[in-house]
Amino acid sequence: MGFETFVGLTLSGLTVGMIYALVALGYTMVYGVLKLINFAHGEIFTVGGYLGATFLIWIGIEDGIPLPLKILYVILAFLFSMILTATLGWSVERFAYRPLRKMTRIAPLLSAIGVSIFLQNLILLVFGVDPIIMPVAAIPEGYIPVFGANFRYLAVIIIVFSLILMGGLTLFIKKTRLGKAMRATSQDREAAEMMGINTNMTISLTFIIGSALAAIAGILVAMYYGTLKFDTGFLYGIKAFTAAVLGGIGNIPGAVIGALVLGLAENYGVGLKLGILAYFFILGLIVGLAYQFYFLPREARKKALFNLADRFSYDEGSLSKVKILNYCYYGGWISGFYFLFKERRDSLVRIHARQAIRVGFANTFLFLVTLIFFLNSNYKISSEWQNGITFLVLMLVLIFKPAGILGEHIPEKV
Amino acid sequence: MKKTFKKEKLLKWSRINRQVLIGAVLFLAFIFPLFNLLGWMGMVWVRLGVKVAVFVLLALGLNIIIGETGLLNLGYIAFFAIGAYTTAIFASPRLGFHLPFWLLFLLSGFFAVAFGFLLGLPTLRLRGDYLAIVTLAFGEIVRITLNNWESVTNGPGGIPGIYDPVIFGLRIDNNFEYYYLTLGLIILCLILIRNLKNSRFGRAWNALREDEIAAECAGIHVSMAKLLSFMVSSLFAGFAGCIFASLQKFVNPQYFVFMQSVLVVCMVVLGGMGSIPGVIAGAIALDTLPEIIRHTFAFWLPSFLGEDFLTSFPPLLQNFLFDFDRYRMLIFGLAIVLMMIFRPEGLIPSRAWQRELHEIDPRLLEETQMIRFDLEEEEKDLEV
Amino acid sequence: MVLLETINLTKYFGGISAVKKFNFKINEGEIVSIIGPNGSGKTTFFNLVSGLYKPDSGDILFEGESLVGLRPDQISNKGIARTYQTLRIFGNMTVLENVLVGMHPRLQSNFFHSLLHTLKVRREEKEAREEAIKILSYFKGRLTGPRLNHPASSLSYANRRRLEICRALANHPKLLLLDEPAAGMNPSETIEMMEQIKEIRDKGYTIILIEHDMKVVMGASDRVVAMDHGEKIAEGGALEVARNPLVIEAYLGKKGAQIA
Repeated sequence: MGFETFVGLTLSGLTVGMIYALVALGYTMVYGVLKLINFAHGEIFTVGGYLGATFLIWIGIEDGIPLPLKILYVILAFLFSMILTATLGWSVERFAYRPLRKMTRIAPLLSAIGVSIFLQNLILLVFGVDPIIMPVAAIPEGYIPVFGANFRYLAVIIIVFSLILMGGLTLFIKKTRLGKAMRATSQDREAAEMMGINTNMTISLTFIIGSALAAIAGILVAMYYGTLKFDTGFLYGIKAFTAAVLGGIGNIPGAVIGALVLGLAENYGVGLKLGILAYFFILGLIVGLAYQFYFLPREARKKALFNLADRFSYDEGSLSKVKILNYCYYGGWISGFYFLFKERRDSLVRIHARQAIRVGFANTFLFLVTLIFFLNSNYKISSEWQNGITFLVLMLVLIFKPAGILGEHIPEKV
Repeated sequence: MKKTFKKEKLLKWSRINRQVLIGAVLFLAFIFPLFNLLGWMGMVWVRLGVKVAVFVLLALGLNIIIGETGLLNLGYIAFFAIGAYTTAIFASPRLGFHLPFWLLFLLSGFFAVAFGFLLGLPTLRLRGDYLAIVTLAFGEIVRITLNNWESVTNGPGGIPGIYDPVIFGLRIDNNFEYYYLTLGLIILCLILIRNLKNSRFGRAWNALREDEIAAECAGIHVSMAKLLSFMVSSLFAGFAGCIFASLQKFVNPQYFVFMQSVLVVCMVVLGGMGSIPGVIAGAIALDTLPEIIRHTFAFWLPSFLGEDFLTSFPPLLQNFLFDFDRYRMLIFGLAIVLMMIFRPEGLIPSRAWQRELHEIDPRLLEETQMIRFDLEEEEKDLEV
Repeated sequence: MVLLETINLTKYFGGISAVKKFNFKINEGEIVSIIGPNGSGKTTFFNLVSGLYKPDSGDILFEGESLVGLRPDQISNKGIARTYQTLRIFGNMTVLENVLVGMHPRLQSNFFHSLLHTLKVRREEKEAREEAIKILSYFKGRLTGPRLNHPASSLSYANRRRLEICRALANHPKLLLLDEPAAGMNPSETIEMMEQIKEIRDKGYTIILIEHDMKVVMGASDRVVAMDHGEKIAEGGALEVARNPLVIEAYLGKKGAQIA
């Protein structure tokens, strides 16, 4: 277990994370404008990969042909796949989602699942069970040594290319008229419509951009691993969705950060020994505690005092209780329980007690995991569990902080 | 006055017809395996009947969540898996346990409910679409665990040799007995569902489906009610899993993939969310359709029309008809989309969802309603 | 005796205060109307009291106990029921079922009894149904009879409003929050509604009313509170408030107020 393994894992984590980010952007953008989880997005990704690979096979890319021509072919493959996939994404929105916009939430969701199954089985029928193999000639060879680890050229290209795309997208959304329309639509579709924004077109555009990005990600994955299977997209879809949720759904930089975190977590999770993973947890624990210690209590204390200034004349006792409770954040959660049961009639105390218990529970959980990992420090998690890590992250994020890392909690319209 | 009388009479008739229909369906379900004894159909069909019955049970359970409470559970098959594996572990040579069937049955239900509780407790305060994806993740975690926990579940190899259930000294070991066992269970579950539907809990679920905020302000503990619905539906899945494991004598993780969850969702959605006859019909149709199509075109029609009538069909259609199983999910996926667009209430709709899903812009509705209301009230005033 | 009291109640949306330092009191058996132009924070106030929003500061005391931090269902169980400006009936459930849902927290039958449909449950259901019909008959046959088993979405707009009130009454609340109960009704209906609100009060309920129709406000309420931009601008008898220059300005703008 050398340093180079660690560097290697980091690099591959970043590469995979970038690909997740490309797919996650599609989820996040669509969720932003339609508040719909586009289940079919994973399949659109697969279609993109298949189309790119098919194009390269069809055009007959070989080792013999000169490099510039090769590059031209690859670019053509990207364009070909992007255009067709964007058309697919557009038609999915136009024919499967748009008619359902006025309906209750479950209908579009079910429709999205239907489209996903349909596309997946369509790929299966057209291309067969066997994975499609990317022509070797289309994959850039060679690598750069970084601290003893091999950094593939392809990985460099993926990271740089993705960064450019994301930067471009951010600029597009921030600066251009269409981008503004998109943001307005995601804030409030009806209001945007009244302001003269063609929301239908904006939504279509969102799907087109998202699908084109997914197509790029699909081809990159096919290049990175050499093959693509008909059900790859399902998994990538969920991973990208996890990344989007982790970063805060509807938030574009959040999706990128979430994707990188997820990519690294997956690679470290199955690549490192438990003993080393435990240090990550300790780091997390320290950061978390510091966060709670420095930010949360002061905020909470301020808020509590703010409330108390009003309450003071009615109930003097509350002040000391809330003060004590604020220490529960970094003390134990037993006192949280104590107050919850003892002072169940005082709602202010109860809010804080609950929060204290929640935070205490998360800390304890982290602590226990760390302990278990230290006790088995020489084991590794089997790589079979790599996908399990994603699902676990997804569930934990949604349970403890559904708003994600960068997301704000959006209250529902009442 | 005359008009209302006619209406009431009609209502009464439709009620009687409904009872007759239910009776007929039940009768058919009871005598169905006997066709085999008369030599009208092969054992394959009885076997298929048992499988269908298990899926009917599953679909009825899922309907509680989707149809009654309006939440989407995409990891439903995981609870089925938990039930099946509980039975497999405690009644097979794998770990040397052999518990009596009734205990197994309860245990399967219990474990499924326990996991439903553990999953539901933190996640049910999430919004509907997040819940869908969390349950999906849960389903996959369960499958991955079953695949990798070699010491207990034997990994991808699965657990073979599950013992036959013994009920009151009667050993259940052929398809007929399994069929009647499952049928009995379905009837029991139907009674329980009906009881719940007409209780305060069923009403709370429906209220949540219609309008969560109004339900909450009417004093319904939202997470409790959702959790309850989640647990009841897990219970059914656990029971179904127990029967399934005993029937198959073998379980492996391959049975419990995401596509199976989707299949059950298809049954509920295509049949008609919230409508018990619809869900049952959906489960029967989706399970038997591939077999029926294959048999029709491979055996029955050729026997009437001659062996080579199919060769006149274009090859793609031939392939499609012979090998419908391959196209099954493709068709179902498309069917869900089309159904959502054109007939969201399902094939046999429940009264409730019909309006829920055809909802138009409330403001428009209000306007039309106001016009209607004026007319209506005028009429009323005249009457008085 | 003071039933509900808010002290410096404040709620922000983004940087804008929807309700700001709002002090409000209602005694048992009173009908208090809240008036104010659109967007003045009346409905936000209801949402705060019923627990749908959490206040940013201030306190809400109901019978001397704070409601801050309670879930809407807990608040409902304490005896506060409400109706909505944008109707929120359970459209696909029958009229009777709608009222029975309102009764939900008062019904005692537990899950296993319900599952087995025991005698106890049956008796309770029967009683609940009878009571629901009684509540529905407050509105003189508009909701009873054949309409009892019609889906609520088939009702007319005015009847939906009435149904919402019935659903709120089903929980035997101590305090009833009515959000524009007469909206969309014709003049004769409005007067009828006004009389019915008074009747409900005489049955022992305390009512807070949001209403635009000044006729209803004048006719039904004991006291009127006027709001603008989330703040209380006037309080007192109906006529007194209606003549208050601040209130006229809030409704008509400065110029309009001068003309008026």
